[in-house]
Amino acid sequence: MEAVIEIKRRKKIKVSTIVAAIITIVFVLIFLFPIVLAILTSFKTPLETAESILSLPKQINFNNYIEGMKRSNFFRAMINSCITTFPSVALIVICASMGGYTIARNSAVSRIVKSMDTVYLASLMIPFQILMIPLYKIYKTLQLQNSLFGMILVLTGTSIAYSTFLYVGFAKSIPKELEEAALIDGCGPYRAFIKIVFPLLKPITATVSALHIMWLWNDFNMALIILQKEEMRTLTVKQYYFFGEHTADYGMAFAASIVSMLPILLFFIAMQKHLVEGISAGAVKA
Amino acid sequence: MKKKMNLNHRSISRYVFLLPGFCFFSFAVLIPFLMGVNIAFTDWNGITKDYTYVFLDNFISIFKDTRVSAPIANSIKYAVLGTVGGNVLSLSLAMLINHKTGKLSKMARVIFFTPVCISAILTSFLWGFIYREVFPQLFGIKSLLGNRTWAIPAITAMGLWNGSGINMLIYFSGLKNIPTDLYEAAVVDGANVWQKFRKITLPLLTPSFTVCITLTLTAWFREFAMTLSATGGGPAGASRTISIYIFENLYEYYKAGYGQAVALLFALFLVVVGCSVSRFFRKREVEL
Repeated sequence: MEAVIEIKRRKKIKVSTIVAAIITIVFVLIFLFPIVLAILTSFKTPLETAESILSLPKQINFNNYIEGMKRSNFFRAMINSCITTFPSVALIVICASMGGYTIARNSAVSRIVKSMDTVYLASLMIPFQILMIPLYKIYKTLQLQNSLFGMILVLTGTSIAYSTFLYVGFAKSIPKELEEAALIDGCGPYRAFIKIVFPLLKPITATVSALHIMWLWNDFNMALIILQKEEMRTLTVKQYYFFGEHTADYGMAFAASIVSMLPILLFFIAMQKHLVEGISAGAVKA
Repeated sequence: MKKKMNLNHRSISRYVFLLPGFCFFSFAVLIPFLMGVNIAFTDWNGITKDYTYVFLDNFISIFKDTRVSAPIANSIKYAVLGTVGGNVLSLSLAMLINHKTGKLSKMARVIFFTPVCISAILTSFLWGFIYREVFPQLFGIKSLLGNRTWAIPAITAMGLWNGSGINMLIYFSGLKNIPTDLYEAAVVDGANVWQKFRKITLPLLTPSFTVCITLTLTAWFREFAMTLSATGGGPAGASRTISIYIFENLYEYYKAGYGQAVALLFALFLVVVGCSVSRFFRKREVEL
Protein backbone atom coordinates (compact mmCIF):
# COMPACT_ATOMS: atom_id res chain seq x y z
CA MET A 1 0.00 0.00 0.00
CA GLU A 2 2.74 2.39 1.05
CA ALA A 3 4.69 1.58 -2.07
CA VAL A 4 1.69 2.19 -4.30
CA ILE A 5 1.16 5.65 -2.86
CA GLU A 6 4.84 6.35 -3.24
CA ILE A 7 4.79 5.40 -6.92
CA LYS A 8 1.63 7.39 -7.55
CA ARG A 9 3.18 10.45 -6.00
CA ARG A 10 6.30 10.16 -8.05
CA LYS A 11 4.29 9.92 -11.24
CA LYS A 12 2.27 12.95 -10.28
CA ILE A 13 5.39 14.98 -9.62
CA LYS A 14 6.73 14.02 -13.00
CA VAL A 15 3.61 15.21 -14.82
CA SER A 16 3.64 18.52 -12.97
CA THR A 17 7.33 18.93 -13.73
CA ILE A 18 6.71 18.48 -17.44
CA VAL A 19 3.86 21.00 -17.37
CA ALA A 20 6.04 23.46 -15.46
CA ALA A 21 8.88 22.95 -17.93
CA ILE A 22 6.62 23.64 -20.90
CA ILE A 23 5.19 26.81 -19.36
CA THR A 24 8.71 27.93 -18.42
CA ILE A 25 9.87 27.49 -22.00
CA VAL A 26 6.90 29.51 -23.29
CA PHE A 27 7.72 32.36 -20.91
CA VAL A 28 11.43 32.18 -21.76
CA LEU A 29 10.55 32.56 -25.45
CA ILE A 30 8.29 35.54 -24.73
CA PHE A 31 10.99 37.22 -22.64
CA LEU A 32 13.68 36.59 -25.24
CA PHE A 33 11.59 37.65 -28.23
CA PRO A 34 12.26 41.43 -28.11
CA ILE A 35 16.00 40.93 -27.66
CA VAL A 36 16.30 38.33 -30.42
CA LEU A 37 14.19 40.50 -32.69
CA ALA A 38 16.51 43.45 -32.06
CA ILE A 39 19.57 41.36 -32.91
CA LEU A 40 17.99 40.00 -36.10
CA THR A 41 16.84 43.42 -37.26
CA SER A 42 20.24 44.95 -36.61
CA PHE A 43 21.72 42.76 -39.36
CA LYS A 44 19.02 43.46 -41.92
CA THR A 45 18.87 46.19 -44.55
CA PRO A 46 15.86 48.54 -44.39
CA LEU A 47 14.45 46.81 -47.48
CA GLU A 48 14.62 43.38 -45.86
CA THR A 49 12.92 44.70 -42.74
CA ALA A 50 10.17 46.28 -44.80
CA GLU A 51 9.55 43.05 -46.72
CA SER A 52 9.26 40.80 -43.72
CA ILE A 53 9.73 41.64 -40.05
CA LEU A 54 10.50 38.19 -38.73
CA SER A 55 12.63 36.74 -41.53
CA LEU A 56 16.29 35.98 -40.95
CA PRO A 57 18.80 38.36 -42.51
CA LYS A 58 19.98 37.11 -45.91
CA GLN A 59 23.58 37.74 -45.05
CA ILE A 60 25.42 38.96 -42.00
CA ASN A 61 26.40 42.53 -42.72
CA PHE A 62 27.83 44.93 -40.24
CA ASN A 63 26.88 48.06 -42.18
CA ASN A 64 24.20 48.97 -39.65
CA TYR A 65 26.74 48.74 -36.86
CA ILE A 66 29.30 50.90 -38.61
CA GLU A 67 26.69 53.47 -39.62
CA GLY A 68 25.04 53.37 -36.19
CA MET A 69 28.25 53.98 -34.30
CA LYS A 70 29.11 56.85 -36.60
CA ARG A 71 25.78 58.63 -36.38
CA SER A 72 24.76 57.99 -32.80
CA ASN A 73 28.02 59.09 -31.19
CA PHE A 74 27.19 56.59 -28.45
CA PHE A 75 30.88 56.13 -27.73
CA ARG A 76 31.14 59.60 -26.19
CA ALA A 77 27.92 58.99 -24.25
CA MET A 78 29.28 55.70 -22.96
CA ILE A 79 32.38 57.43 -21.65
CA ASN A 80 30.12 59.98 -19.92
CA SER A 81 28.12 57.16 -18.38
CA CYS A 82 31.34 55.57 -17.11
CA ILE A 83 32.58 58.87 -15.69
CA THR A 84 29.35 59.36 -13.75
CA THR A 85 28.60 55.78 -12.74
CA PHE A 86 31.84 54.40 -11.35
CA PRO A 87 33.01 57.28 -9.11
CA SER A 88 29.45 57.54 -7.76
CA VAL A 89 29.39 53.86 -6.88
CA ALA A 90 32.79 54.16 -5.17
CA LEU A 91 31.55 57.13 -3.13
CA ILE A 92 28.32 55.30 -2.29
CA VAL A 93 30.24 52.28 -1.02
CA ILE A 94 32.59 54.40 1.11
CA CYS A 95 29.88 56.61 2.64
CA ALA A 96 27.20 53.98 3.06
CA SER A 97 29.49 51.35 4.59
CA MET A 98 30.65 53.81 7.28
CA GLY A 99 27.15 55.13 7.88
CA GLY A 100 25.54 51.72 7.89
CA TYR A 101 28.17 50.38 10.29
CA THR A 102 27.74 53.16 12.83
CA ILE A 103 23.93 53.01 12.62
CA ALA A 104 23.98 49.25 13.16
CA ARG A 105 26.29 49.57 16.20
CA ASN A 106 25.18 52.80 17.85
CA SER A 107 21.50 53.41 17.18
CA ALA A 108 20.68 51.92 20.58
CA VAL A 109 23.18 54.21 22.33
CA SER A 110 22.92 57.53 20.55
CA ARG A 111 19.74 59.37 19.74
CA ILE A 112 21.33 61.31 16.88
CA VAL A 113 22.44 58.12 15.15
CA LYS A 114 19.03 56.60 15.65
CA SER A 115 17.21 59.60 14.20
CA MET A 116 19.55 59.54 11.19
CA ASP A 117 18.36 56.01 10.51
CA THR A 118 14.75 57.19 10.60
CA VAL A 119 15.45 60.11 8.27
CA TYR A 120 17.08 57.79 5.73
CA LEU A 121 14.18 55.36 5.86
CA ALA A 122 11.58 58.10 5.51
CA SER A 123 13.43 59.58 2.55
CA LEU A 124 13.05 56.30 0.66
CA MET A 125 9.36 57.05 0.24
CA ILE A 126 9.82 60.50 -1.34
CA PRO A 127 9.17 60.37 -5.07
CA PHE A 128 11.87 61.80 -7.28
CA GLN A 129 9.44 64.29 -8.80
CA ILE A 130 9.47 66.43 -5.68
CA LEU A 131 13.24 66.91 -5.97
CA MET A 132 13.18 67.58 -9.70
CA ILE A 133 12.34 71.30 -9.71
CA PRO A 134 14.49 72.29 -6.66
CA LEU A 135 17.48 70.32 -7.98
CA TYR A 136 17.11 72.12 -11.28
CA LYS A 137 17.13 75.41 -9.38
CA ILE A 138 20.16 74.52 -7.25
CA TYR A 139 22.11 73.39 -10.28
CA LYS A 140 21.22 76.53 -12.14
CA THR A 141 22.39 78.75 -9.28
CA LEU A 142 25.62 76.82 -8.71
CA GLN A 143 26.17 76.55 -12.48
CA LEU A 144 26.59 72.81 -12.18
CA GLN A 145 24.32 72.12 -15.13
CA ASN A 146 25.98 70.06 -17.83
CA SER A 147 28.74 69.05 -15.45
CA LEU A 148 29.51 65.40 -14.93
CA PHE A 149 30.86 66.26 -11.48
CA GLY A 150 27.46 67.67 -10.56
CA MET A 151 25.88 64.51 -11.86
CA ILE A 152 28.12 62.42 -9.58
CA LEU A 153 27.05 64.51 -6.59
CA VAL A 154 23.36 64.00 -7.21
CA LEU A 155 23.63 60.30 -8.12
CA THR A 156 25.58 59.62 -4.92
CA GLY A 157 23.32 61.71 -2.74
CA THR A 158 20.09 60.14 -3.90
CA SER A 159 21.51 56.62 -3.49
CA ILE A 160 22.91 57.05 0.02
CA ALA A 161 19.69 56.29 1.90
CA TYR A 162 18.95 52.94 0.31
CA SER A 163 22.53 51.69 0.26
CA THR A 164 23.03 52.67 3.91
CA PHE A 165 19.87 50.77 4.71
CA LEU A 166 21.31 47.66 3.04
CA TYR A 167 24.57 48.03 4.99
CA VAL A 168 22.74 48.44 8.31
CA GLY A 169 20.96 45.12 7.83
CA PHE A 170 24.20 43.33 7.05
CA ALA A 171 26.38 45.02 9.68
CA LYS A 172 23.98 43.92 12.41
CA SER A 173 24.69 40.31 11.53
CA ILE A 174 28.51 40.47 11.83
CA PRO A 175 29.98 39.76 15.27
CA LYS A 176 31.23 42.63 17.43
CA GLU A 177 34.01 40.68 19.18
CA LEU A 178 36.72 41.19 16.56
CA GLU A 179 36.55 44.98 16.49
CA GLU A 180 36.05 45.15 20.28
CA ALA A 181 39.26 43.17 20.73
CA ALA A 182 41.11 45.46 18.37
CA LEU A 183 39.78 48.56 20.13
CA ILE A 184 40.84 47.25 23.53
CA ASP A 185 44.31 46.55 22.14
CA GLY A 186 44.55 50.25 21.36
CA CYS A 187 43.55 50.31 17.72
CA GLY A 188 41.74 53.53 16.76
CA PRO A 189 38.11 53.32 15.67
CA TYR A 190 38.93 54.40 12.10
CA ARG A 191 41.70 51.90 11.65
CA ALA A 192 39.51 49.20 13.16
CA PHE A 193 36.87 50.02 10.58
CA ILE A 194 39.26 49.94 7.63
CA LYS A 195 41.25 46.89 8.73
CA ILE A 196 38.59 44.73 10.38
CA VAL A 197 35.01 45.77 9.70
CA PHE A 198 35.19 46.76 6.04
CA PRO A 199 36.64 43.40 4.92
CA LEU A 200 33.83 41.63 6.79
CA LEU A 201 31.28 43.73 4.88
CA LYS A 202 32.55 42.43 1.55
CA PRO A 203 29.46 40.41 0.52
CA ILE A 204 27.11 43.35 0.94
CA THR A 205 29.64 45.65 -0.72
CA ALA A 206 29.51 43.40 -3.77
CA THR A 207 25.72 43.53 -3.80
CA VAL A 208 25.48 47.28 -3.26
CA SER A 209 27.97 48.02 -6.01
CA ALA A 210 26.40 45.58 -8.46
CA LEU A 211 22.91 46.98 -7.90
CA HIS A 212 24.02 50.59 -8.11
CA ILE A 213 26.18 50.15 -11.18
CA MET A 214 23.08 48.79 -12.88
CA TRP A 215 20.74 51.51 -11.58
CA LEU A 216 23.02 54.48 -12.07
CA TRP A 217 24.03 53.32 -15.54
CA ASN A 218 20.34 53.25 -16.46
CA ASP A 219 19.43 56.47 -14.66
CA PHE A 220 17.31 58.72 -16.82
CA ASN A 221 15.40 61.16 -14.61
CA MET A 222 18.35 63.05 -13.18
CA ALA A 223 20.44 63.03 -16.32
CA LEU A 224 17.50 64.44 -18.27
CA ILE A 225 17.27 67.45 -15.99
CA ILE A 226 20.93 68.14 -15.34
CA LEU A 227 22.73 67.17 -18.54
CA GLN A 228 21.16 69.21 -21.31
CA LYS A 229 24.16 69.82 -23.53
CA GLU A 230 24.68 67.39 -26.37
CA GLU A 231 28.25 66.35 -25.55
CA MET A 232 27.56 65.88 -21.82
CA ARG A 233 24.66 63.49 -22.21
CA THR A 234 24.89 60.04 -20.70
CA LEU A 235 23.83 56.95 -22.57
CA THR A 236 20.17 56.85 -21.56
CA VAL A 237 19.52 60.49 -22.41
CA LYS A 238 21.42 60.04 -25.66
CA GLN A 239 19.27 57.04 -26.49
CA TYR A 240 16.16 59.06 -25.70
CA TYR A 241 16.99 61.79 -28.22
CA PHE A 242 18.57 59.45 -30.76
CA PHE A 243 15.55 57.15 -30.96
CA GLY A 244 13.31 60.18 -31.16
CA GLU A 245 15.15 61.28 -34.31
CA HIS A 246 15.67 57.92 -36.03
CA THR A 247 12.39 56.09 -35.76
CA ALA A 248 12.44 54.97 -39.39
CA ASP A 249 15.83 53.31 -39.77
CA TYR A 250 15.33 50.43 -37.36
CA GLY A 251 18.31 48.33 -38.41
CA MET A 252 20.74 51.12 -37.71
CA ALA A 253 19.03 52.17 -34.46
CA PHE A 254 18.99 48.59 -33.17
CA ALA A 255 22.64 48.09 -34.06
CA ALA A 256 23.51 51.21 -32.08
CA SER A 257 21.35 50.15 -29.16
CA ILE A 258 22.84 46.66 -29.03
CA VAL A 259 26.32 48.14 -28.84
CA SER A 260 25.15 50.43 -26.04
CA MET A 261 23.54 47.49 -24.24
CA LEU A 262 26.66 45.30 -24.37
CA PRO A 263 28.63 46.72 -21.42
CA ILE A 264 25.73 46.42 -19.00
CA LEU A 265 24.79 42.95 -20.26
CA LEU A 266 28.37 41.70 -19.89
CA PHE A 267 28.47 43.24 -16.44
CA PHE A 268 25.20 41.52 -15.57
CA ILE A 269 26.51 38.13 -16.67
CA ALA A 270 29.63 38.63 -14.56
CA MET A 271 27.85 39.92 -11.46
CA GLN A 272 24.65 37.90 -11.80
CA LYS A 273 25.23 35.97 -8.59
CA HIS A 274 25.62 39.09 -6.43
CA LEU A 275 22.62 40.80 -7.97
CA VAL A 276 20.36 37.81 -7.49
CA GLU A 277 21.52 37.14 -3.94
CA GLY A 278 21.47 40.78 -2.95
CA ILE A 279 17.95 41.44 -4.10
CA SER A 280 16.61 38.27 -2.51
CA ALA A 281 18.36 38.92 0.79
CA GLY A 282 18.05 42.67 1.14
CA ALA A 283 14.53 43.31 -0.02
CA VAL A 284 12.69 40.82 2.14
CA LYS A 285 14.30 42.16 5.27
CA ALA A 286 12.84 45.56 4.39
CA MET B 1 42.96 58.59 31.93
CA LYS B 2 44.04 57.08 28.68
CA LYS B 3 40.99 54.87 28.62
CA LYS B 4 38.68 57.80 29.05
CA MET B 5 40.24 59.65 26.15
CA ASN B 6 39.95 56.56 24.03
CA LEU B 7 36.27 56.34 24.86
CA ASN B 8 35.73 59.96 23.92
CA HIS B 9 37.51 59.34 20.70
CA ARG B 10 35.20 56.44 20.04
CA SER B 11 32.00 58.32 20.73
CA ILE B 12 33.08 61.11 18.38
CA SER B 13 33.87 58.55 15.71
CA ARG B 14 30.23 57.45 15.71
CA TYR B 15 29.24 60.75 14.18
CA VAL B 16 32.28 61.09 11.98
CA PHE B 17 31.31 57.84 10.28
CA LEU B 18 27.89 59.31 9.53
CA LEU B 19 29.17 62.61 8.22
CA PRO B 20 30.26 61.94 4.60
CA GLY B 21 27.05 60.12 3.71
CA PHE B 22 24.98 62.78 5.37
CA CYS B 23 26.71 65.54 3.39
CA PHE B 24 25.82 63.95 0.06
CA PHE B 25 22.34 63.13 1.30
CA SER B 26 21.72 66.71 2.42
CA PHE B 27 22.96 68.13 -0.85
CA ALA B 28 20.87 65.91 -3.10
CA VAL B 29 17.80 65.06 -1.02
CA LEU B 30 17.32 67.00 2.21
CA ILE B 31 18.05 70.55 0.99
CA PRO B 32 16.14 70.14 -2.30
CA PHE B 33 13.23 68.71 -0.37
CA LEU B 34 13.07 71.68 2.00
CA MET B 35 13.59 74.10 -0.88
CA GLY B 36 10.80 72.34 -2.72
CA VAL B 37 8.39 72.95 0.10
CA ASN B 38 9.33 76.62 -0.12
CA ILE B 39 8.92 76.80 -3.92
CA ALA B 40 5.45 75.30 -3.68
CA PHE B 41 4.25 78.49 -2.01
CA THR B 42 5.67 80.82 -4.69
CA ASP B 43 4.88 81.72 -8.29
CA TRP B 44 8.41 80.96 -9.53
CA ASN B 45 8.42 80.36 -13.30
CA GLY B 46 11.58 78.24 -13.43
CA ILE B 47 13.70 80.80 -15.31
CA THR B 48 13.98 84.19 -13.61
CA LYS B 49 15.71 84.79 -10.30
CA ASP B 50 12.86 86.57 -8.52
CA TYR B 51 9.54 85.24 -7.39
CA THR B 52 6.82 86.24 -4.96
CA TYR B 53 5.05 84.25 -2.29
CA VAL B 54 1.49 83.41 -3.19
CA PHE B 55 0.77 81.32 -0.08
CA LEU B 56 -1.91 78.74 -0.74
CA ASP B 57 -2.82 79.96 -4.24
CA ASN B 58 -0.99 77.07 -5.94
CA PHE B 59 -2.80 74.50 -3.86
CA ILE B 60 -6.16 76.13 -4.47
CA SER B 61 -5.59 76.21 -8.21
CA ILE B 62 -4.85 72.47 -8.24
CA PHE B 63 -8.48 71.91 -7.36
CA LYS B 64 -9.61 74.30 -10.09
CA ASP B 65 -7.19 72.93 -12.70
CA THR B 66 -9.05 71.00 -15.40
CA ARG B 67 -5.83 69.65 -16.89
CA VAL B 68 -4.75 67.82 -13.76
CA SER B 69 -7.64 65.33 -13.58
CA ALA B 70 -6.60 63.31 -16.64
CA PRO B 71 -3.03 62.66 -15.41
CA ILE B 72 -4.41 61.61 -12.03
CA ALA B 73 -6.80 59.14 -13.65
CA ASN B 74 -4.01 57.83 -15.89
CA SER B 75 -1.63 57.35 -12.98
CA ILE B 76 -4.31 55.39 -11.13
CA LYS B 77 -4.82 53.22 -14.22
CA TYR B 78 -1.08 52.55 -14.38
CA ALA B 79 -0.97 51.77 -10.66
CA VAL B 80 -3.83 49.28 -10.78
CA LEU B 81 -2.78 47.54 -13.99
CA GLY B 82 0.90 47.52 -13.10
CA THR B 83 0.43 46.30 -9.54
CA VAL B 84 -2.03 43.52 -10.33
CA GLY B 85 -0.30 42.44 -13.54
CA GLY B 86 3.19 42.80 -12.12
CA ASN B 87 2.56 40.76 -9.00
CA VAL B 88 0.61 38.01 -10.75
CA LEU B 89 3.35 37.73 -13.38
CA SER B 90 6.31 37.82 -11.04
CA LEU B 91 4.74 35.36 -8.60
CA SER B 92 4.01 32.99 -11.49
CA LEU B 93 7.57 33.31 -12.75
CA ALA B 94 8.91 32.72 -9.24
CA MET B 95 6.81 29.57 -8.88
CA LEU B 96 8.02 28.35 -12.27
CA ILE B 97 11.69 28.76 -11.41
CA ASN B 98 11.04 27.28 -7.97
CA HIS B 99 9.89 24.10 -9.67
CA LYS B 100 12.93 21.87 -9.81
CA THR B 101 13.44 21.38 -13.51
CA GLY B 102 17.21 21.26 -13.26
CA LYS B 103 19.18 23.39 -15.67
CA LEU B 104 16.06 24.85 -17.24
CA SER B 105 14.93 26.66 -14.11
CA LYS B 106 18.40 28.08 -13.54
CA MET B 107 18.59 29.34 -17.10
CA ALA B 108 15.05 30.71 -16.91
CA ARG B 109 15.93 32.64 -13.77
CA VAL B 110 18.73 34.45 -15.58
CA ILE B 111 16.61 35.11 -18.67
CA PHE B 112 13.64 36.48 -16.72
CA PHE B 113 15.99 38.83 -14.90
CA THR B 114 17.96 40.01 -17.96
CA PRO B 115 15.46 42.73 -19.07
CA VAL B 116 15.99 44.42 -15.68
CA CYS B 117 19.39 45.66 -16.82
CA ILE B 118 17.94 47.25 -19.96
CA SER B 119 17.06 50.91 -19.46
CA ALA B 120 13.47 52.14 -19.61
CA ILE B 121 14.30 54.12 -22.74
CA LEU B 122 15.64 51.11 -24.61
CA THR B 123 12.67 49.04 -23.45
CA SER B 124 10.22 51.52 -24.84
CA PHE B 125 12.13 51.63 -28.12
CA LEU B 126 12.23 47.83 -28.45
CA TRP B 127 8.55 47.45 -27.68
CA GLY B 128 7.62 50.50 -29.72
CA PHE B 129 9.07 48.62 -32.69
CA ILE B 130 7.04 45.54 -31.81
CA TYR B 131 3.82 47.52 -31.44
CA ARG B 132 4.38 49.67 -34.53
CA GLU B 133 5.83 47.15 -36.97
CA VAL B 134 5.52 43.56 -35.78
CA PHE B 135 1.92 43.45 -34.52
CA PRO B 136 0.48 45.17 -37.62
CA GLN B 137 2.35 42.75 -39.92
CA LEU B 138 1.50 39.62 -37.94
CA PHE B 139 -1.98 40.25 -36.62
CA GLY B 140 -3.07 43.26 -38.64
CA ILE B 141 -3.72 45.48 -35.61
CA LYS B 142 -2.71 49.12 -35.68
CA SER B 143 -0.14 50.34 -33.17
CA LEU B 144 -1.57 50.11 -29.68
CA LEU B 145 0.53 53.11 -28.66
CA GLY B 146 -1.50 55.36 -30.93
CA ASN B 147 -4.78 54.19 -29.47
CA ARG B 148 -6.35 56.21 -26.69
CA THR B 149 -7.70 53.23 -24.75
CA TRP B 150 -4.83 50.82 -25.34
CA ALA B 151 -1.83 53.09 -24.87
CA ILE B 152 -1.67 52.60 -21.09
CA PRO B 153 -2.09 48.79 -21.10
CA ALA B 154 0.49 48.56 -23.89
CA ILE B 155 3.05 50.60 -21.95
CA THR B 156 2.27 48.61 -18.80
CA ALA B 157 3.03 45.40 -20.71
CA MET B 158 6.49 46.62 -21.66
CA GLY B 159 7.07 47.73 -18.10
CA LEU B 160 6.21 44.27 -16.84
CA TRP B 161 8.71 42.73 -19.24
CA ASN B 162 11.32 45.24 -18.07
CA GLY B 163 10.78 45.04 -14.32
CA SER B 164 9.26 41.72 -13.26
CA GLY B 165 12.65 40.14 -12.66
CA ILE B 166 13.25 41.99 -9.39
CA ASN B 167 9.93 41.02 -7.83
CA MET B 168 10.34 37.52 -9.15
CA LEU B 169 13.54 37.18 -7.11
CA ILE B 170 11.83 38.52 -3.99
CA TYR B 171 8.98 36.03 -4.34
CA PHE B 172 11.45 33.29 -5.20
CA SER B 173 13.41 33.75 -1.97
CA GLY B 174 10.08 33.87 -0.10
CA LEU B 175 9.08 30.56 -1.65
CA LYS B 176 12.39 28.97 -0.74
CA ASN B 177 11.84 29.95 2.90
CA ILE B 178 8.61 27.94 3.15
CA PRO B 179 9.48 24.62 4.81
CA THR B 180 8.75 21.65 2.51
CA ASP B 181 7.36 19.47 5.32
CA LEU B 182 4.28 21.71 5.39
CA TYR B 183 3.49 20.68 1.81
CA GLU B 184 4.24 17.05 2.58
CA ALA B 185 1.86 17.13 5.54
CA ALA B 186 -0.81 18.72 3.33
CA VAL B 187 -0.37 16.00 0.69
CA VAL B 188 -0.77 13.30 3.33
CA ASP B 189 -4.00 15.02 4.43
CA GLY B 190 -5.20 14.87 0.83
CA ALA B 191 -4.88 18.53 -0.17
CA ASN B 192 -4.94 19.31 -3.88
CA VAL B 193 -2.71 21.77 -5.73
CA TRP B 194 -5.08 24.74 -5.33
CA GLN B 195 -5.60 24.09 -1.61
CA LYS B 196 -1.85 23.88 -1.05
CA PHE B 197 -1.39 27.20 -2.85
CA ARG B 198 -4.28 28.92 -1.09
CA LYS B 199 -3.68 27.63 2.45
CA ILE B 200 0.13 27.35 2.63
CA THR B 201 1.88 29.33 -0.09
CA LEU B 202 -0.18 32.52 -0.01
CA PRO B 203 -0.28 33.08 3.78
CA LEU B 204 3.42 32.29 4.22
CA LEU B 205 4.39 34.56 1.36
CA THR B 206 2.81 37.63 2.98
CA PRO B 207 6.20 39.25 3.85
CA SER B 208 7.11 39.12 0.16
CA PHE B 209 3.69 40.52 -0.75
CA THR B 210 4.24 43.42 1.63
CA VAL B 211 7.47 44.38 -0.11
CA CYS B 212 6.46 43.67 -3.70
CA ILE B 213 3.02 45.26 -3.62
CA THR B 214 4.24 48.40 -1.87
CA LEU B 215 7.15 48.69 -4.30
CA THR B 216 5.16 48.11 -7.49
CA LEU B 217 2.25 50.31 -6.42
CA THR B 218 4.40 53.34 -5.63
CA ALA B 219 6.64 52.73 -8.64
CA TRP B 220 3.73 52.64 -11.08
CA PHE B 221 2.16 55.74 -9.54
CA ARG B 222 5.44 57.48 -10.35
CA GLU B 223 5.65 56.15 -13.93
CA PHE B 224 7.71 58.60 -15.98
CA ALA B 225 10.60 57.62 -18.24
CA MET B 226 9.07 54.78 -20.22
CA THR B 227 5.87 56.67 -21.01
CA LEU B 228 7.74 59.83 -21.87
CA SER B 229 9.85 58.04 -24.45
CA ALA B 230 7.14 55.69 -25.76
CA THR B 231 4.33 58.16 -26.35
CA GLY B 232 5.39 61.46 -24.78
CA GLY B 233 2.14 61.29 -22.83
CA GLY B 234 0.05 61.01 -25.98
CA PRO B 235 -2.05 60.37 -27.98
CA ALA B 236 -3.68 63.65 -26.95
CA GLY B 237 -2.67 63.24 -23.30
CA ALA B 238 -4.18 59.75 -23.05
CA SER B 239 -1.11 58.37 -21.27
CA ARG B 240 0.16 61.51 -19.51
CA THR B 241 0.98 60.70 -15.87
CA ILE B 242 1.29 62.97 -12.84
CA SER B 243 5.08 62.80 -13.08
CA ILE B 244 5.02 63.90 -16.70
CA TYR B 245 2.61 66.68 -15.80
CA ILE B 246 4.99 67.96 -13.11
CA PHE B 247 7.87 67.79 -15.58
CA GLU B 248 5.85 69.72 -18.18
CA ASN B 249 4.99 72.43 -15.69
CA LEU B 250 8.70 73.09 -15.31
CA TYR B 251 9.83 72.82 -18.93
CA GLU B 252 6.79 73.65 -21.03
CA TYR B 253 4.35 75.79 -19.09
CA TYR B 254 6.97 77.64 -17.00
CA LYS B 255 4.95 77.20 -13.83
CA ALA B 256 7.57 75.69 -11.55
CA GLY B 257 5.86 76.92 -8.39
CA TYR B 258 2.60 75.34 -9.36
CA GLY B 259 4.30 72.12 -10.51
CA GLN B 260 6.06 71.90 -7.17
CA ALA B 261 2.75 72.26 -5.32
CA VAL B 262 1.40 69.33 -7.35
CA ALA B 263 4.56 67.38 -6.56
CA LEU B 264 4.23 68.09 -2.85
CA LEU B 265 0.64 66.86 -2.66
CA PHE B 266 1.62 63.89 -4.80
CA ALA B 267 4.49 63.00 -2.44
CA LEU B 268 2.19 63.26 0.55
CA PHE B 269 -0.31 60.98 -1.17
CA LEU B 270 2.41 58.43 -2.02
CA VAL B 271 3.72 58.33 1.54
CA VAL B 272 0.21 57.78 2.88
CA VAL B 273 -0.55 55.08 0.31
CA GLY B 274 2.82 53.40 0.79
CA CYS B 275 2.53 53.34 4.57
CA SER B 276 -1.06 52.14 4.68
CA VAL B 277 -0.54 49.40 2.10
CA SER B 278 2.53 48.08 3.85
CA ARG B 279 0.75 48.26 7.23
CA PHE B 280 -2.25 46.41 5.78
CA PHE B 281 -0.03 43.49 4.72
CA ARG B 282 2.29 43.62 7.76
CA LYS B 283 -0.72 42.92 9.99
CA ARG B 284 -1.49 39.81 8.01
CA GLU B 285 2.01 38.35 8.14
CA VAL B 286 2.11 34.92 9.74
CA GLU B 287 4.91 33.96 12.08
CA LEU B 288 6.20 30.44 11.64
